[in-house]
Amino acid sequence: MCRHALILLPLVVATLELAGYLIGRTSSVVLLALLAFIIVLAPKGCRLGDWKKALRSALICLVGALASFLLANNLDLGPLMASAVVGLLGTVVLKEKDQLVVYLGTFIGMSSALRFPTLSLVVLAGLTGGILWEMLSETWNGVGGRLGTVAATAVLIVLLAFGGGLQ
Amino acid sequence: MTLILSIVLGLLTGFFGHTLRQRTQLSTVAVSSLLTLLAALALPRIFTDGNQYALVCTAVSYVTMSSTERLAKVWETLTVSLFCSVLVYYGQDVLMGIGGRLGTFAALAVLAFTVPRAHRKLFKKGVRT
Repeated sequence: MCRHALILLPLVVATLELAGYLIGRTSSVVLLALLAFIIVLAPKGCRLGDWKKALRSALICLVGALASFLLANNLDLGPLMASAVVGLLGTVVLKEKDQLVVYLGTFIGMSSALRFPTLSLVVLAGLTGGILWEMLSETWNGVGGRLGTVAATAVLIVLLAFGGGLQ
Repeated sequence: MTLILSIVLGLLTGFFGHTLRQRTQLSTVAVSSLLTLLAALALPRIFTDGNQYALVCTAVSYVTMSSTERLAKVWETLTVSLFCSVLVYYGQDVLMGIGGRLGTFAALAVLAFTVPRAHRKLFKKGVRT
């Protein structure tokens, strides 16, 4: 249940936006409360089996996120090309499972510089993405787009908790 | 950006992605990255709204990362590619600037197809739960 609640966070936000609710301060408070509720539930529902594995995934995801964000914004490659280049490099040097984690990181790095004005937020989102990847490893298996949804969850968590909301 | 062209490009990406997954030894990440790179390089040079079409193709490339248990046949991948293209077209203003938004659209399209199929018994006449 907790896993589904976590991974559904981007869909909840998307639904709110589609329904026409501006994600302003009030809505951000509501979403932050939802997030806090999930975090309270998380230790019971979302068991993180192995902290070493989670830390490793977090670091790989962080590398993907930073590489993609810097390529997209500093070299003006744009988010699509930056993500694809880092993903392809990952397929050359990493094992298949790690390729997925680095690709997840590149999705986080595709975020706009307006959302992430400082690199510290990208770092936080990258680390969060890797940890979420381990927590949600058995959720939505084989569903294309799962990596993107986990990435969006990580980005939303960081924006809601540290990045001043979604406005 | 027109809906028809988005759908056509989405279907082409879905077809190529499915074929590459089935006929080559490339990993899911390699297939998706290749399709994304091709779309991001080529489409902005061909169309004035090329960047928007590249977004559609990228989202569909994530659809093709689905396992063969979820999307085994080419028509299944094409159907989901169609859903996904429409979602990206109408969801242009949703989750703006949030990394992973295209993947979220892709996942939504895959789930919209696979969840009802997995529970089709529930929709049959005369079946009580």
